[in-house]
Amino acid sequence: MRHQIRKTALLAAAATAATSLALASCSAGSSTSGGNAGASSGGATGGQQSSDAALSIGLVAEPANLDFTKTDGAAIPQVLLYNVYQGLVQLDQKGDISPALATKWTVSDDRKTYTFDLAKDAKFTNGKPFTADDAKFSIDRVKKDWTVSLKSAMNVVDSTTVVSPTQLKVVLKAPSNDWLYRMTTRVGAMFSRTGVDALATKPVGTGPYQLGKWTRGDSISLVRNDAYWGTKPYYQTVTFKYFKDPTALNNALLTGTINVIGTVQTPESLGQFENNDKYQVIEGTTNGEVVLSFNNGSGPMKNKKMREAVRYAIDHKALVDTCWAGRGALIGSMVPPTDPWYEDLTGLYPHDVAKAKTLLKESGEANQTLRLRIPTLPYAVSCGTVVKSQLEQAGFKVKLDQLEFPAAWLTTVFTNADYDMSIVAHVEPRDMGAVFGDPTYYTRYTNPAFSALLKQADEGTEAEQVADMKKAARMLSEDAAADWLFVLPNLIVADKGITGIPKNAISESFDVTGLAGS
Amino acid sequence: MSDVSASTPASSPPPDAAGRRSRRRVNPNLLVGASLVLLIVGMAIVSFFWTPHDPTLVNAATRLQKPSGDYWFGTDKFGRDVFSQVMVGARTTLFVGFVAVGVATAIGVPLGVLGGMVSRGPGEVLMRGNDLLLAFPALLLAIMFAAVYGASTLVAMIAIGIATIPSFARLIRSGTLQVMGTEYVLAARAAGRSPFAIGARHVLPNVSSLVIVQASVSFAIAVLAEAALSFLGFGTPPPTPSWGRMLQESQEMLWSAPRLAVFPGVAIAVAVLGFNLLGDGLRDRFDPKLDDRR
Amino acid sequence: MILRLLQRLAILLISLAVSSVIVFAFMAVLPGDPARVALGVNATDSSVAEMRREFGLDRSPVAQYLSWVTGLVTLDPGNSYVSSTAIGPQLSDRLQVTLWLVVAAMALAVVVAIPVGTVMAVRHRQVSGLALSAVSQLGVAIPAFLAGILLITVFAVNLGWLPANGWTPPADDPVMFLKQLVLPVLSLGLVQAAVLTRYVRSAVLDVLREDYLRTARAKGLTPMRALVRHGLRNAAVPVVTVLGLQLATLLIGAVVVERVFVIPGLGSLLLDSVSQRDLIMVQDVVMILVVAVLVVNFVVDLLYLLIDPRLRVGAR
Repeated sequence: MRHQIRKTALLAAAATAATSLALASCSAGSSTSGGNAGASSGGATGGQQSSDAALSIGLVAEPANLDFTKTDGAAIPQVLLYNVYQGLVQLDQKGDISPALATKWTVSDDRKTYTFDLAKDAKFTNGKPFTADDAKFSIDRVKKDWTVSLKSAMNVVDSTTVVSPTQLKVVLKAPSNDWLYRMTTRVGAMFSRTGVDALATKPVGTGPYQLGKWTRGDSISLVRNDAYWGTKPYYQTVTFKYFKDPTALNNALLTGTINVIGTVQTPESLGQFENNDKYQVIEGTTNGEVVLSFNNGSGPMKNKKMREAVRYAIDHKALVDTCWAGRGALIGSMVPPTDPWYEDLTGLYPHDVAKAKTLLKESGEANQTLRLRIPTLPYAVSCGTVVKSQLEQAGFKVKLDQLEFPAAWLTTVFTNADYDMSIVAHVEPRDMGAVFGDPTYYTRYTNPAFSALLKQADEGTEAEQVADMKKAARMLSEDAAADWLFVLPNLIVADKGITGIPKNAISESFDVTGLAGS
Repeated sequence: MSDVSASTPASSPPPDAAGRRSRRRVNPNLLVGASLVLLIVGMAIVSFFWTPHDPTLVNAATRLQKPSGDYWFGTDKFGRDVFSQVMVGARTTLFVGFVAVGVATAIGVPLGVLGGMVSRGPGEVLMRGNDLLLAFPALLLAIMFAAVYGASTLVAMIAIGIATIPSFARLIRSGTLQVMGTEYVLAARAAGRSPFAIGARHVLPNVSSLVIVQASVSFAIAVLAEAALSFLGFGTPPPTPSWGRMLQESQEMLWSAPRLAVFPGVAIAVAVLGFNLLGDGLRDRFDPKLDDRR
Repeated sequence: MILRLLQRLAILLISLAVSSVIVFAFMAVLPGDPARVALGVNATDSSVAEMRREFGLDRSPVAQYLSWVTGLVTLDPGNSYVSSTAIGPQLSDRLQVTLWLVVAAMALAVVVAIPVGTVMAVRHRQVSGLALSAVSQLGVAIPAFLAGILLITVFAVNLGWLPANGWTPPADDPVMFLKQLVLPVLSLGLVQAAVLTRYVRSAVLDVLREDYLRTARAKGLTPMRALVRHGLRNAAVPVVTVLGLQLATLLIGAVVVERVFVIPGLGSLLLDSVSQRDLIMVQDVVMILVVAVLVVNFVVDLLYLLIDPRLRVGAR
């Protein structure tokens, strides 16, 4: 129930602590870098009238506190980013980088200097205006005061300079496609110089909403910021209600306690909404690759033949049909279909039990019992059962251990790498480098050629980036560094008549600013 | 805890007076209880040699089938046979009961006898320590244990067993106190028999019926506790079939396949009912005091 | 009498002290560094070290124990590891929620069990008594969470009469509060009622057999009248014991029911804190539950002294 490792807003996030498994450092860059100006409305879709209506959204993972500068996990940005906090730039619903607090920006020819023109009338909820000094303060503060390791996204920044109250210059140490992309995430959130004293309980941002009431263990409500500088959102109050039990979440919608299920954890239950005129079911995709991860560093899975054998032994279509009700796209590597460098690589290791058996025999490890150590998360428990059964049908010996998430799983698998295989959804966007580019990461994958390719992609032009990332993804898959089961679908159920719900979950935020009723 | 409460054991339900009336007539509680328990035990034993299907075999082609000649209780979302799972689940349930009751008996009975025979001083301290354990109810202890040692059937059951010790100890102590007051024990003591001999010769045989009754009732409590723990995710981990977890897994399909909850739910109720009735029936059978009263 | 009272009080205090040591020792062996888990996967080593210092996790166990107990006794339990917010208000909020649930369920159990149990005893040879008896046996055999799921499915999802889950403080919206309270209280209370019914029945049966009641009946009183006039006080002794023990069961049983009905009570707090390794919070919640059980037992002891005249003499 408490969920996972992700970043995109619409799936559940890890309970408080743990979670976004990806380090934001070395992976690839963004798709747009140009300075397209535009009327910034800070995320609210234009044209909607404001109303005094209230909306209630059901989610699974409640944040432990509201300070994402010191506390990890996807639950905090899910609620606060884009709604309460804004960045200079943000991801639009196509996945492109678009203006937010910066109305436009330019990039120098050497791709190292970014100049941002800032919104003139933006204000924080503590009454202070937003200026270039706040922007500098916020970016500098990441390196200085943040404690989560996501802060490494700012390591590439060389200097920040206030040119004028409405213009900020950022100089990078080296060109990086990734930097501007990371600026759309929580690392790029803009704080008030006088509003960071109680981040854990009192967030101060420039967004269309501000924190209303937080009832711990139950709900967080956001109320419309009437002094908001952009287009005001439709709903007066938006309440995020938290349900540990996914069935309780479904029942809450069925009985009218909530209006939207932000993340369906029990895909089998979708049928009861699809057959009902009162509800709309939205099915899109996310950044969450459900990975059957291997311990590449030690034990039987260090043997490439074993890894290949496992990949041949898994019938991915049957797997996603049984454990996730057939929802979720199949992928063959660490790239979700929404990324620019996605390629269908499912053909590299088709289901072939005979081949799996041969490879298993050749590997000389057939007598080893593989320890499949999964976290206590719905998709992992469900799919772990299927993986074990499929591997056993191909002659593997598998022991399934269920480790309590987050604490026990983090210690055993993530920190100590005391496992052979695990199942976890890596929900950070563009996390191929984070998960496989760092030999100390729990996958223990070491491949200098792969790491070099990633670095080259980050520093190259956009076209070079796409080409290099494709190469890297294929290299990873051919090496059987892991098996990719499927991409977590973005499953949302809402009362009919609620509009503006994005199909795909690609940002860290559950952006409620564009939602409207009828 | 007062001394009075010691004679009203914590978790043993009251004797069924309707059954007290005649000892010679067949006791319906005993009959029904024993049949239900035999049904569960039979199912568990048979499951070692035969189940209609492999209870853990996942098969996408056979998922969510309705009950049929091939799949008597239908299949779950993994395509696993529900009837086979219920059968093997009986094993888990009995395992749970045996371990929990075993722990409770092994520690609680000697503690109770000792507490009863050495009634002053050390015995008193022993019973106070025992009472302290009452402050840690089974579910709480099991959650704490699961947090430390990870969720597993064995860990949960040991926790439940430990939490059950006090009710055994109190009951056995009050039984022992009664025996110690009888004339034959007084005579034995006058004759200079060692306390050990008295314990083995007089006390244990006389409290053994209490033990059996309490074991049966505690069994029922352990079954309930395992179901609750598995439901919370602190009990039997997958893929070992467990009725509690089957219930939990059935929830997302409650709207379309309520049978997935009905079968394990009924199985739990049958097991609990069986052991409770068996306990009541045995109590009526064994308790000589009740006969005196009529 | 006073002496007995003091003796009981001393036992209570010693029990509290010993159990606090047990709880603390237990938590100390939990795997997983609470600071690292609190900060998340991506935390840097230096921030973990800093947090250990901040929360005093680098001190000796004895020092940690003493500061924990001092915090509890002075009602200032400090801050949570995970949320860095004060624990005290959270505990009292959650405790209130659970108390509503438990007290309401207890009341329901008593209101149902005493008349039903008495009727079962008085009519124990009639069909109605036996039928009630069978129903209570079934009630005992159904886990509270299963009862909860069934109630939700029938009354909330299918019939739409009541909300399926959730919690509203009574001050915010009393009507919603009551509506949301109904199903959890039913699922928790009815199962307890079934258990309690059987104790009431047996207590009443025992009393019915006493000589003084036979005498009363010989004088022409109906069984019910004789019972009401002469027997209730005696029947109350075992029932009060069981009530005390059941209160403990209810407090813990609420853990599961709170999960099923998404109620932010102590039980949910315990489960959340365990999985987040919010050690100090787990310790505090467990300790509150343990204190509650011990205090209830203490009160039950005192009640004996009041109810049962034989005990007042002081003889066993």
